[in-house]
Amino acid sequence: MSNGTDDGVGERGTHTGDGERVRVGIDVGGTFTDVVAIRDGAVHVEKTPSTPDAPDDGVIDGLERSARRAGYPIDRVTTLAHGTTVATNAVLERDWAETALVTTAGFRDALEIGRQARPDVYDFTAEKPAPVVPRDRRFEVEERLDERGRVETPLSDDDVRAVAGDLADAGVESVAVSLLFSFENPDHERRLAERLREEGVEASISLSSDVLPEIREYERTLATALNAALKPVMDRYVGRLDARADDLGVPADLRIMASSGGLIGAERARTAPVRTLLSGPAAGVQGAAHVAERAGVDDVITMDMGGTSCDVSVVRDGDPIVSSEVEVGAYPVRVPMVEIHTIGAGGGSIAWIDDGGALRVGPRSAGAEPGPICYGRGGTEPTVTDAHLLLGRLDPDSMLSGDLSADADAVANAVRDRIADPLGMGVEEAAEGILNVANANMERALRVVSVERGHDPRGFALVAFGGAGPLHAVGLAAELDVPRVLVPRAAGVLSALGLLVTDHVHELSTSMVRPLDGIDATTLAEAYADFEREGRERLAAEGISDDRMSFQRSADLRYVGQSFDLRVPVPADLDGDALDTVAERFHAHHERRYGHASSDEPVELAAVRLRAVGRVPSPDLRAVDPVGASDRIDDAIVEERPVVFDGRTHDARVYDRAQLPPAGSFDGPAIVEGEESTVVLPPETSATVDPYGTIDVEVGR
Amino acid sequence: MTDDGRPVDPVTLEVVRNATAAISEEMNAALIRTGYSPNIKERRDCSCALFDADGRMVSQAENMPVHLGAMPFSVEAAIDRFPPETLRPGDAVLLNDPFHGGAHLPDLTLVTPVFRDDVLLGFAANRAHHADVGGSRAGSVAADSTEIYQEGVRIPPVKLYRGGEIDDDLARTILANVRTPDERRGDLRAQRAANETAVRRLRELADEYGVETFADAIREVQDYSERRMRTEIDRLPDGTYTFEDVLDDDGRGNEELPIRAAVEIDGDDVRVDFAGTAPQTAGPVNAVFAVTASATYYVVRCVTDPEIPPNDGCYRPVEIDTPTASLVDASPPAAVVGGNLEASQRITDVLLGAFAKVVPDRVVAGSQGTMNNVTFGGVDPRTDRPYAFYETQAGGFGGRASGDGMDAVHVHMSNTMNTPAEVLQTAYPLAVDRYELRMDSGGAGEHRGGMGLRRDITVRGHEATFSLLADRRTRPPYGVAGGEDGSPGADYLLRDGEARRLPQKTTLDLSDGDTVSVRTPGAGGYGDPEERDPEAVRRDVQSGKISLESAIEDYGVELDDRSP
Repeated sequence: MSNGTDDGVGERGTHTGDGERVRVGIDVGGTFTDVVAIRDGAVHVEKTPSTPDAPDDGVIDGLERSARRAGYPIDRVTTLAHGTTVATNAVLERDWAETALVTTAGFRDALEIGRQARPDVYDFTAEKPAPVVPRDRRFEVEERLDERGRVETPLSDDDVRAVAGDLADAGVESVAVSLLFSFENPDHERRLAERLREEGVEASISLSSDVLPEIREYERTLATALNAALKPVMDRYVGRLDARADDLGVPADLRIMASSGGLIGAERARTAPVRTLLSGPAAGVQGAAHVAERAGVDDVITMDMGGTSCDVSVVRDGDPIVSSEVEVGAYPVRVPMVEIHTIGAGGGSIAWIDDGGALRVGPRSAGAEPGPICYGRGGTEPTVTDAHLLLGRLDPDSMLSGDLSADADAVANAVRDRIADPLGMGVEEAAEGILNVANANMERALRVVSVERGHDPRGFALVAFGGAGPLHAVGLAAELDVPRVLVPRAAGVLSALGLLVTDHVHELSTSMVRPLDGIDATTLAEAYADFEREGRERLAAEGISDDRMSFQRSADLRYVGQSFDLRVPVPADLDGDALDTVAERFHAHHERRYGHASSDEPVELAAVRLRAVGRVPSPDLRAVDPVGASDRIDDAIVEERPVVFDGRTHDARVYDRAQLPPAGSFDGPAIVEGEESTVVLPPETSATVDPYGTIDVEVGR
Repeated sequence: MTDDGRPVDPVTLEVVRNATAAISEEMNAALIRTGYSPNIKERRDCSCALFDADGRMVSQAENMPVHLGAMPFSVEAAIDRFPPETLRPGDAVLLNDPFHGGAHLPDLTLVTPVFRDDVLLGFAANRAHHADVGGSRAGSVAADSTEIYQEGVRIPPVKLYRGGEIDDDLARTILANVRTPDERRGDLRAQRAANETAVRRLRELADEYGVETFADAIREVQDYSERRMRTEIDRLPDGTYTFEDVLDDDGRGNEELPIRAAVEIDGDDVRVDFAGTAPQTAGPVNAVFAVTASATYYVVRCVTDPEIPPNDGCYRPVEIDTPTASLVDASPPAAVVGGNLEASQRITDVLLGAFAKVVPDRVVAGSQGTMNNVTFGGVDPRTDRPYAFYETQAGGFGGRASGDGMDAVHVHMSNTMNTPAEVLQTAYPLAVDRYELRMDSGGAGEHRGGMGLRRDITVRGHEATFSLLADRRTRPPYGVAGGEDGSPGADYLLRDGEARRLPQKTTLDLSDGDTVSVRTPGAGGYGDPEERDPEAVRRDVQSGKISLESAIEDYGVELDDRSP
């Protein structure tokens, strides 16, 4: 429990006085487990191989190595925040608990029918995702509430007893309960759970009125079924990790990153695992947002491009855009998640000519094995990375970690034979063509998250990371009229860093559909008071002190007859005029968003929401260690080499990123080679290095 | 001009193709984001497209396949009425007349010319299904119309906007003819906003490339799709393949209405001849030519390569012949609302049946073949406000070479989302009592046909009018490659403890407590049922998708009981 330390969060250590504090963020990725430790403002980064069969092995190993190499005692770890893919992988591999569903009579197939649309209109081989709970484990009980939650048919106790027997026969490990209109009145669901326990059912139980108390039976039931299927998996994993951290002597409580971009306690992660499906990626976006914030930028498009895919997302006013429209493993999971759009474009994407004579790039990828031709591991088809090599943007001698041997002739021959000759082009022209086409694909993805969502990219900065992101970012920014590009120094561990700059957040909500002018302000005030009480309890249980808590009230409103809502803030003090204020805000918001409003149309309340935030102080990161950096920017120049831009060969300066002095500035055409990635600056761009080592590019046009 | 005589190089082609596709998608996103009614926002019954200066389609983002090939006819009709020299920046042409560029009256299409300075760059167009356009029944999907005049307000191509200003007299005239004018106004505004998105972006593209190179690139995007489509068609064996199926009836006593198609593959051309199809009929199931073209393009696209970018070039190799004043090419004053909804599905079934004879591994067996349109209307006793509720119902998707057909999805020409039972009961004085898959409805086969569903809706506390427009209640969806037929649908009125079978095209008055039970068709199976993996049969029995009797009789698989 909190011992009143200055960061006031979740510390249960026994150390008092001026003992140092170490904050540790651990993100588990597919290949590596990244550990970031912040000690006295200094950042220590550790990478260890991930252990997919038992991810906690890699986490504990990483933590021990970090402590050893950075030289801090484990019992000084006052924050331990974790991004995990355990829930995600369980969904993608359907490797989860045997689960049953209990639902209202007449509706056992709602989970399987879904919303009736098929996943692809023209592909005759398309498949709907298999239902989370198979049909023979979906059971019905007589009961019915009306649309205001009033009982029309009482819960049938005979049915409950019968279902208890069915559950025993089915031998399930977990049970989802989702009854119609339970978001209006949870009594039947709670009573059902109690009775199942009394009848001897020992399986874990998830209630839809707890998991996602929102209207739309398919989406609520799906989220509840997923939660139930994941609960035993996550319970075992988090329980094990928590115990092992304890055994090591870590005084901090374990926190888990939720998909919505806020931290939650281990206990909450164990009971609500459906909220952790995008744990790792959400941390990455938070890390990028933090880097941008330090550079004084609040509106950001993030772009994480690796070997096979590219993830893009938007940060607005310093916060990631959170949406309830995200799909995971083809399931529409309607819990709040950081909105991340993924396309199959990466350094390994293969260039080819299609039947119609167009140059195409991807979605097929050479992956890590055999990889691009220039890796020399047997790849024969030209990739995006190979095109960079031919144009001088990547250096054959120092490519990546330097232990990959690139054969420039083999690359040139392949591009000539497969692309340039058939298209009647020169090799360099073909290589530039490959990059232009790859950029066109990525530009579309960036437009999806920005323009299509109503954000004008001209007011944003692009934060690029991942092995291939900084190669493409500046060119893409120019296409989208994005004026500024940021390339963080510790790009590879942004997710782990993001874990340490994230607040505790609990999102509480319930659907409440009724005309706004028929609502008693007292009823609404009570609903918010209940939420605030629960939010306060949850944050306190996570060791957040009162002075670090804040509560944001909002409501989803719409015109009667509309089916989509707008979220507007609700004043804390719900007096007589408060509801009028809320309605005015709605009209104004509608006008702004959709370009029209009708103040005489009746307005309907759809849902009430409260966001309980436990603020975590931002780590005071020290400026980048100047040791090793040159005094003068020119001292960081490694060589000049010919690099092709727009069909012309330029003598571009090549900089060693590790030697760039803080506040140094330079102009394109230039290449910056770093350990993790290479940054390409086309002509007519200029860059400066900020105190934290971030390269800040001003994009010319 | 490049060395090989193409107007732009392969890189520009791919970059401009991406850009034009993105513009259609951005229009579509804007329409859904700013749309007012659930039909656009929740069901997404709308589509957007870009056209060149000659009115040829360049790119399209369609949520509904039935819009796929139909929008070029709208732009053509708009240009016929308003030749380019009569158009100015800020103009926008509205239409819904099925006999002048439309498909059926609820679909309103807005066509906006795009200028850069005085040069016409092309057109932006979008189509949205409006929940009511007047006519004899709330919801404008009347099952008992015999003339277009009963189906709603008919709008030939007219300039709704002139130089950026709305024609207020015209707008008021249109809105005076519909039941929910505020909602219509909101949706029309969204349609205009969507086209304006394209105006801005097309101008930017023309600025970037210059007007001439841009026009060349657009032409090459179309030629490219044509080349790819011809390559695909060339791979199909030459020959003429014929198939015939029927619409059960037209709701006016005319039954077994044949639709017949001869598909001729000749090198890299396809010719489809609908000779032998029934003449147009009294009931509202007649399709106008644009609908028939949409269904044809859809099938050609599905059996070739769905990845070919849809535009004018894509359809150049496809020729369509129809008998005039027929079920597949209606003339005025035929009633046509169900042509778009029901005949379009049967045309699809017929063409897939023909292609099954030459490329059985690329088709699916007969799918549910209907949209099961239901409309309820009345006055909500909770608010005393009038309401109209319209929805379509999913059913079986045909068995296929790659596996079983999907259970309970919208098929072929439709792909809307349903209205959740909780949303329905909250917004309307109606309640869903049952919502489930129909056991034994999927046709037997090595790959079973998809299952139909049952949805029971009860009227609460008032009297309502009800309209049903459905098909496939008599003739079942066909099996393919030895697969069995699926089960036809059936509909019942449950009143006072008794079930009365309803005609499939009907309108009737309902009382408080009446329940309408719609049971949608299951699809045809694919391949010999005897070849089905006995384990798959056992699983179907265990999950209650087929009965023990069906396992024995249809599949010859003996199972002791339902447990593994």
